Amino acid sequence: MEKIKVRICVGTSCFVMGAAQIQSLEFNAPADIADSIEIIEERCMNLCKDIKVKYNRGPFVFVNDRLIEEASYEKVINAIREEIKKSCEK
Amino acid sequence: MNRSLFIEIGTAQEHKYGEDCFGDTVFSKKIPEEQRVISILSDGLGSGVKANILSSMTTRMAMKFVESNMELLRSSEVMMDALPICQIRKISYATFSIVDSMLEGKTRIFEMDNPSFMLIRDNKAVNVRYRELSSPKWKDRTINISQLTNQEEDRIILISDGVSQAGLGNPKYPLGWQRQGCLDFALAQIRKNPQISAYDLAHAIVREALDKEVDKHAGDDISCVVLYFRKPRQLLVLTGPPFDEDKDKEYADLVTDYDGKIAICGGTTANIIERELCLKCEIDKTSFDEKIPMSSTMDGVDLVTEGILTLTEVYRMLKEGIDKDKNNAAVRLTRLLLGSDKIDFVVGTKINIAHQDPNLPMELEIRRNIVKKIFRILQDRYLKEISVRYI
Repeated sequence: MEKIKVRICVGTSCFVMGAAQIQSLEFNAPADIADSIEIIEERCMNLCKDIKVKYNRGPFVFVNDRLIEEASYEKVINAIREEIKKSCEK
Repeated sequence: MNRSLFIEIGTAQEHKYGEDCFGDTVFSKKIPEEQRVISILSDGLGSGVKANILSSMTTRMAMKFVESNMELLRSSEVMMDALPICQIRKISYATFSIVDSMLEGKTRIFEMDNPSFMLIRDNKAVNVRYRELSSPKWKDRTINISQLTNQEEDRIILISDGVSQAGLGNPKYPLGWQRQGCLDFALAQIRKNPQISAYDLAHAIVREALDKEVDKHAGDDISCVVLYFRKPRQLLVLTGPPFDEDKDKEYADLVTDYDGKIAICGGTTANIIERELCLKCEIDKTSFDEKIPMSSTMDGVDLVTEGILTLTEVYRMLKEGIDKDKNNAAVRLTRLLLGSDKIDFVVGTKINIAHQDPNLPMELEIRRNIVKKIFRILQDRYLKEISVRYI
């Protein structure tokens, strides 16, 4: 199975709003998902420039192509689990 | 001073075990108009607060006198007269070593009762001849005066007797480490790493001295100053996107044209350089840290970091000292700054709207302010040559 790409914005504002905690997925992801994800940190994705117009607040995380706004550790893990489920159903 | 030469000054100190403050004082100053650097190390009688007062008074007075080119013997008399008298020993006393590096590469060194300075040239210790002076008023105190012409890659090392006497009481070092022991150690360090910075060498010497002590408890105040004469190491720090997007290209070209090391601080800034110069920038996971975003690598650039958080942390470490057991982006940037002599900041002044969100922590400062603080401390405390340009 192809790994699920988790792209975390680690620009300044995302970082202070919680991306720092999400980053820890890299080292201590729950056992059921640890092997199926690939963590990619990205410098500012510039989504914060459009908050209120297009997006809510950061941190911004992409799980494959799906954008998670106001991401938290739990939100990201849930999204990953959904993605895993989806790919198993295929 | 040979125009192209630069003097890096590195200082390391350890106070006597059980004391709260340093009895030795080190004070250095650059006088750019005269291309002159003065560095003074003084060891006050005793230890703790009393010694601290004696040695601080001595360095401050000596700095004023040397700066204004006052006659040395007279100045020393004034200094000795001015120092308060110790209740126990009934004398007023503090030693000093003064290094005064003047225009055209001439350096004069005045010493009173400190272990004599060491000059290292071409990886060898050089003995410099000195003249003795003593005042009729204070016959038992002689001042040694030496003069030399500095060459590139010269190092001058000043130590307090806490270094030469380190290890007293330790059966392995019945006479202490001694000046010669320290000199041999410094030579070995330089052989291992010929470009070792003054900062690193001074710290290595103090660490080694402390290692000699029983239980690693300093028996006296331990201080070391290293002056390193060398070609300036230049560093360009780019931080923040230009106010006007039309300037992006000009901004990125600074990277291509610069002769020296380069650091980029800021995600958006890195994105601009990446786009304009078609370089690839990748996150470096070895710099992982919970508090500071990771650094990245980019061809032709020595360090790429996030902006405000990293700079804020760098400022904190410049004030309080580098966190020894970390290797995050901020530590790397601080090392890069301290390892450079001439630092050119180019600051993009565009404000990041996302940072103005009141939900973000207060520490998120405006870039211009934090950069201003950083360059002031680099200039005043670390004596770096700094230029700043806003774009």
